[in-house]
Amino acid sequence: MARAELQSTAALKGTMAAHFESLRQAVGERHAPIAWCTSVGPVEILRALGFCVFFPENHGAMLGAARKANDTMPRAHALGYSPDICSYLTSDIGAYLSRETPLAAFGFETVPRADVLVFNTNQCRDVRDWFEFYGREWHVPVLGVRSPRALEHVTDGDVDAVAWQIEAMVEPLEGIAGRRLDASALEATVRLSRECSDLWKACLESATHRPAPITFFDAAIHMGPAVVLRGAPEAPAYYKTLLAELRARVKAGVGAVEGEQFRLYWEGMPIWGKLRMFSTLLADLSTAVVVSTYCNSWIFDALDAADPIRSMARASLELFIVGSEEPKERYIREHVERFGVDGILFHDCRTCPNNSNARYGMPRRLSSALGVPALVLDGDVNDLRCFSEEQSKTSVEGFIEQLADFRPAAGGTGRR
Amino acid sequence: MSSEQRFSVGVDVGTECVKAIVVNAGGDVVGRAVVATRGYFQACVHEVLAAALDDAQVAESDLAGVCATGFAASCVTQATMTATETTCHAIGAFRHHPKAMTVINIGGRDPRVIHVDDHGQRTESLTVRRCAVGIGTFLMFTARHLDVHPTRLQELAAGADRPAPISSFCSVFSGSEILERLREGASREEVALGCIHSIAERILEMGGFTAPLVVTGGVPEYFPGVLRALEAQSGMTVSVVPQPLFAGALGAALKVMHGAASA
Repeated sequence: MARAELQSTAALKGTMAAHFESLRQAVGERHAPIAWCTSVGPVEILRALGFCVFFPENHGAMLGAARKANDTMPRAHALGYSPDICSYLTSDIGAYLSRETPLAAFGFETVPRADVLVFNTNQCRDVRDWFEFYGREWHVPVLGVRSPRALEHVTDGDVDAVAWQIEAMVEPLEGIAGRRLDASALEATVRLSRECSDLWKACLESATHRPAPITFFDAAIHMGPAVVLRGAPEAPAYYKTLLAELRARVKAGVGAVEGEQFRLYWEGMPIWGKLRMFSTLLADLSTAVVVSTYCNSWIFDALDAADPIRSMARASLELFIVGSEEPKERYIREHVERFGVDGILFHDCRTCPNNSNARYGMPRRLSSALGVPALVLDGDVNDLRCFSEEQSKTSVEGFIEQLADFRPAAGGTGRR
Repeated sequence: MSSEQRFSVGVDVGTECVKAIVVNAGGDVVGRAVVATRGYFQACVHEVLAAALDDAQVAESDLAGVCATGFAASCVTQATMTATETTCHAIGAFRHHPKAMTVINIGGRDPRVIHVDDHGQRTESLTVRRCAVGIGTFLMFTARHLDVHPTRLQELAAGADRPAPISSFCSVFSGSEILERLREGASREEVALGCIHSIAERILEMGGFTAPLVVTGGVPEYFPGVLRALEAQSGMTVSVVPQPLFAGALGAALKVMHGAASA
């Protein structure tokens, strides 16, 4: 079965290219200070202070998608960074040491040198270690939020703890930026972030329709502006275009996967170097991955321009990855039911334990509670040495066969 | 040609062996063959198919269909359909044990646990974690370290009263463990038994077993000690299908036969 390509892809490419061009100009002309920020870090503060912001996780994903990661990681391993830690980190540091970057397509010789690096450990400790490498390398400050994790629910105390840390980094950031943080600029940035979040959420929610107009594999690419342009006007502008196309598809009954029969949930990180392989394999099996924790992680419902810093703190804490098993299961359960999911794929990502949820019994608990089969795929976000294509294909094919057996309309017996 | 005169073939292209089974319209096995898997898959398939048809005394023109399965099923150019190993082993096992069961397929590449209901329907399947320990290829590798032909590994292990512990998740590390145990004074027999036990341990770690346990694949064919280790460690009765090496090919042949019958 064929996959229907999104027309908005041209606008996406233009938006991303303009972002990188702006960053390249900042590097070349030094017209603005440059900050590195973790993907769900306090970017609104940085933008409000006039920083050009670079997101190295996006760079890691680009290395994975371009299948360059396995060439660059060994340089980081040789420096003492274990093959078992985050392969975004090792592929990015390895690329820096090799002076290689997929950003060469946008005129970069290497990653942009930061004036400051700002992390939030709400996702993992690795981001801090990653930024500290560059802090030592360039002799620049590394600031960050040490976040509570594995929360049953977010308390006011948790929000206070994070908000206080965000407030504490304002003064040193003002020193680097050479300007004071303007309250109205911060409010405007948070408002733009929230608008981006709302539009991105609407795009993803369009997949509740049958057939789904967008799949996880499309969304993993089209989330680019939500990652690198959160808090900037270009992101909502792009998602208005994408949302219009998705709504038109819904109205016309056009699915991302022709002849959609099965609908899956993808739990965990993408396998960037095999995105196309999985997309094609599943489309050939008339299967659409209609929802994912990963793409939903750039939805920040708590952001509120009227209370910028506390709402930023709360938004960072309400992310799926910050929760304990119980709220995570509740979250997946709610999405499985609302998106009409037939099966769940768990990616057990070798080098990303914090974003792998198959290790403490969750697949069996959910499968049993929901009556929805689950399959665990071993792999990695970037390190393809941890992935067996043949074994994974066999497992996925068997899994879809199993779903077909359960469904009389697809030729099965209907027995579960 | 009437359906009674027609035959169906299942071809299972595994990582260690290529197997073919010929069944008649009633599903009875009338021919079979196996050859070692070599790099040029299509030549292996051609060879095994010719041998199985010769064994059955059936001409290719008498075939209703060919179903391919296994890791290189796509190399079976004669195939009229393909099916996953999970499906084929479930069907092959159910042919011999027509009841709800847990099928444990232990082949050259990856052990697989398949839950089958009392209608022969798969309800769940699990594969082993990413490491290679727990598979037939590991035992082939073990045999080399112990300087014995793989088909004699089982015989060697039978001479041990207790297994030498081989517990690594990684087959390369297990290779080092084998040498360490030998250096520490364990006998070759104890190490052979330890490796066979380690297969059972890795499989049982996959969990979720419901009695009865029925084993298919090349490992129970050549290393039946794994069954005894599974029984001892699980406390459950473990049975094996007749000629377990051919279970996947049999399932493939039955699948294409049923397709032909309903066509």
